[in-house]
Amino acid sequence: MTLLERPVLDHVLTLLVVIPLVGLVPLLFFMRDARAAKQVALVTTFVELVVSLVMLAQFRVGEAGFQMVDSVMWLPSLGIRYEVGVDGISVLLVVLTTLLTFISVLYSSGGAIKTRVGEFMAAFLLLEVGMVGVFVALDLFLFYVFFELMLVPMYLIIGIWGGQRRIYATLKFVLFTLLGSLLMLVAIVAVYLASGETGSRTLSFLDLIARRDRFPADFQFWVFFAFALAFAIKLPMVPFHTWLPDAHVEAPTAGSIILAGILLKAGGYGLIRFALPLFPIGAQAWLPIILLLSVVAIVYGAAVSTVQKDLKKLVAYSSVAHMGFVTLGLFVLNTQGGVGAVLQMINHGIVTGGLFLFVGIQYERTHRRQIADLGGLANQWPLFTTCFAVFVLASLGLPGLNGFVGEFLVLLGTFRYEGLPVSGLVWGPLAAVGVILAAVYLLWMFSRVMYGPVREAYRALPDLSPVEVVSAAPLVALTILLGVFPQAAIRIIEPSVERMLAFATQSALAVK
Amino acid sequence: MSDVVAVLPEAIVAATAIFVLAFAATLGDERARPWVPWLTLLGLIAALAAPLAYPFTGLAFRGFVLVDQFSAFFRLVFVVLAAFTVVVAPSYLRRERVPEAEFYATVLFSTVGAMTIALSTDLITLFVGIELMSIPVYVLAGLQRRDRYANEAALKYFLLGAFSSAILVYGFAWLFGIAGTTDLAQIATAVGRAGLGSPEVVIALALVTAGLGFKAAVVPFHQWTPDAYDGAPTPSTAFMSVAPKAAAFAAILRVMATALGPAQADWGVVFAVLAAVTMTAGNVVALAQTNVKRMLAYSSIAHTGYILAGVAALDAGTSAGAAVLFYLFAYGVMNLGAFACLMLLDLEGTRGATLEELNGLWSRHPAGALAFTVFLVNLTGIPPTIGFLGKFLMIQPVLDAGLGWLAVAIALNAVLAAFYYLRVVVHMFMYDPDAKGPRVVPARLLSVSLVVVALVTILLGVLPDPIHAFALRAAEPVVIR
Repeated sequence: MTLLERPVLDHVLTLLVVIPLVGLVPLLFFMRDARAAKQVALVTTFVELVVSLVMLAQFRVGEAGFQMVDSVMWLPSLGIRYEVGVDGISVLLVVLTTLLTFISVLYSSGGAIKTRVGEFMAAFLLLEVGMVGVFVALDLFLFYVFFELMLVPMYLIIGIWGGQRRIYATLKFVLFTLLGSLLMLVAIVAVYLASGETGSRTLSFLDLIARRDRFPADFQFWVFFAFALAFAIKLPMVPFHTWLPDAHVEAPTAGSIILAGILLKAGGYGLIRFALPLFPIGAQAWLPIILLLSVVAIVYGAAVSTVQKDLKKLVAYSSVAHMGFVTLGLFVLNTQGGVGAVLQMINHGIVTGGLFLFVGIQYERTHRRQIADLGGLANQWPLFTTCFAVFVLASLGLPGLNGFVGEFLVLLGTFRYEGLPVSGLVWGPLAAVGVILAAVYLLWMFSRVMYGPVREAYRALPDLSPVEVVSAAPLVALTILLGVFPQAAIRIIEPSVERMLAFATQSALAVK
Repeated sequence: MSDVVAVLPEAIVAATAIFVLAFAATLGDERARPWVPWLTLLGLIAALAAPLAYPFTGLAFRGFVLVDQFSAFFRLVFVVLAAFTVVVAPSYLRRERVPEAEFYATVLFSTVGAMTIALSTDLITLFVGIELMSIPVYVLAGLQRRDRYANEAALKYFLLGAFSSAILVYGFAWLFGIAGTTDLAQIATAVGRAGLGSPEVVIALALVTAGLGFKAAVVPFHQWTPDAYDGAPTPSTAFMSVAPKAAAFAAILRVMATALGPAQADWGVVFAVLAAVTMTAGNVVALAQTNVKRMLAYSSIAHTGYILAGVAALDAGTSAGAAVLFYLFAYGVMNLGAFACLMLLDLEGTRGATLEELNGLWSRHPAGALAFTVFLVNLTGIPPTIGFLGKFLMIQPVLDAGLGWLAVAIALNAVLAAFYYLRVVVHMFMYDPDAKGPRVVPARLLSVSLVVVALVTILLGVLPDPIHAFALRAAEPVVIR
């Protein structure tokens, strides 16, 4: 059963990949006209959002397999296909992508970006192609192409419209990411060679799943390592996270929203879609280390967040902790953990997107990001305070808001974990410390920024503008909705997570 | 008659070269100027079209020349590179008062030599081709007579080139000594009979590797490269950095795969090590450069390393040869394009732009900056570009041949290279233009052709199948079995 009975749109996923490219064409002609460029970008991303909602409506809930698949031979001489499709894991991520992109473009066209508007919008549309493509690609080659396609536009967004140390930050971001992804490229080629004899080789996900028994254990060990490294850098996992605070602090607001909301998710998504199901034996071998690093990320990220003086840095380090829950949930290899991890990705996208949006909004008014320089804003901006409070409370995991659900499920899954090196009864409480610390640093930050005496300089500053309200409203609504009624998302996610985890565990059990 | 048909494209290119020279001499440089590039282009197109009208495959000139898919692929590569050179060069040549007809004719002569290398089945044809390709290139390096760096470049290139030719001939003499013939296929039989590790084969191998390594700029035979590339007039550099390199690899493939194929176990590992050393050395030194022309010179050494990795993996089958051919095509287009982008700025003499001089190029010349970025993204190997496909196809045979460490070396080197390629993008897009910066050249033909070729590299990155299928067919004759 689809979510709603709607007219069916054929090739909707291909359409989603193509729409931003089509939008780029008129944009090239309006490069020097800021107003027209904004309009073109707004229309394009809005159409993209609507089409993605149509796709969601077409999605048959409760099915585990891929839907709306488009598949044609792309490179006959190599046997590589153009193959796209969505399942319960990717469908919500695609909608999240189109929503956050629209919000970013809307917010940026409200006056946040003043120079080179045309180029900014063009970079965003190109970025959207890459992001949507990553979540719908079912061929490893295609996936890699989209994975890398996200890189150059984000490089330009941080490097051109960023803050003081933008060039250092953007080069660091690109070089870290490339280091992981190029080693993954070698691994992809190795998988391609191992997939069969000349002429029958493939990189199509479903074909590879069927043939993964051909991958010997030591082969899986190294290939999984290369994949996991690329995704761990993107995610980012401790100790590969050092590019993230720099990139976030320097990026313009819209860049931060997309970076935290979508780009990091590409790492978690790659783990559950490709690394875990394709190389179960390799995953088993690396699992203890990844569990350890996840818990370290949760505790370390939270601990470092408590001592941050800069608002953006605080949110960035809190992302490291939150993404730790994602890897923890994925690698305990049970349904609760997996569903929790995917939910956590979506919720973190919404909530952290919202947090970066509001940090950006207040920065534009006060021109301060140091927590010590702020204070008393609650009296000035009632609307701002309400929305910001929702995101802060969701981020610290208050029951009734969406952040709670994902973390709770992950912790539940973790307590049930009974594998190497030690059982979940050790990991669970450690991870729970991170939740408590999150409450500490977020509430502390909130009280210092919003309460206390009002500074004279901030008295005349206005509350949210209409554009900002429209930008924030969907995020606030989703935060509450997914907190009160998470079942809507869980029903979509669960069957597909179970399927991927079945791939990830069956073969490994056979080995034992 | 069939002999003439066999080498019709080469004959057309040679005739065009002579015609262009005569045309400019009779009409006078000034009046001939608007026509010369177009005449050259016409000749190149005719050369490409000739085999379609008069197809020929097989041996000609009593077995000295072999027309097969391999030579057909290289004809395409060399003609495309020469044509690309011709459309980007005019504005620079006029500005720097380089004799134009001579430039085009020299490019054409060198192209004939390069095409001859791909045709050869015999050491003598091969050597004639190599010299016919090299000597015009020495001239190209020094064509800007009044510039002392160009003179230095030409002299260095000529002396070291002559030296390397001598070493190469000495190696050929050893091969002749082993086999008693200059025919590549018969040499293979003799080498096979001599057996692995026999001293005379090893000596011949070392000499031939050194000789051809000079031509292709393989470390440690690369010392001439930075000065020659840096000092030569920029259009010459653009051509020199791609066509002679592709020609050198055509020679390496013919000699190594055909004549020395039976000794692959001897040279395979050596080539793998040379490949790793070449790419790493090229990239590490390129990191330290602040002059973009010199940086690209070192980066072209690094690309030699990537291509050499494919040669080292020749025993993996057709995919290795195809990867080398595809990469040569991709490298030729993207590297020529990158050097050509430097001609957008008016700088004194043959000097290339420094990073600072490229500041804010995006606001001063958007089309040029965009094209340059595309070429740099190509060179970095980021999809969806032809440069990325080159790397993807290259890693495949390297892994297949069991050289996993070399594949990892390629990946790590690509990260190193990303640093200095993207730094150029930083200066073009992320810094404000400098008021004292060099003048941007108003050259419509140059910018249009750069943008078109940049778009083609993306198009072929998305739809590479025609070229790759051609490369697979063309690699058949150079498979080591």
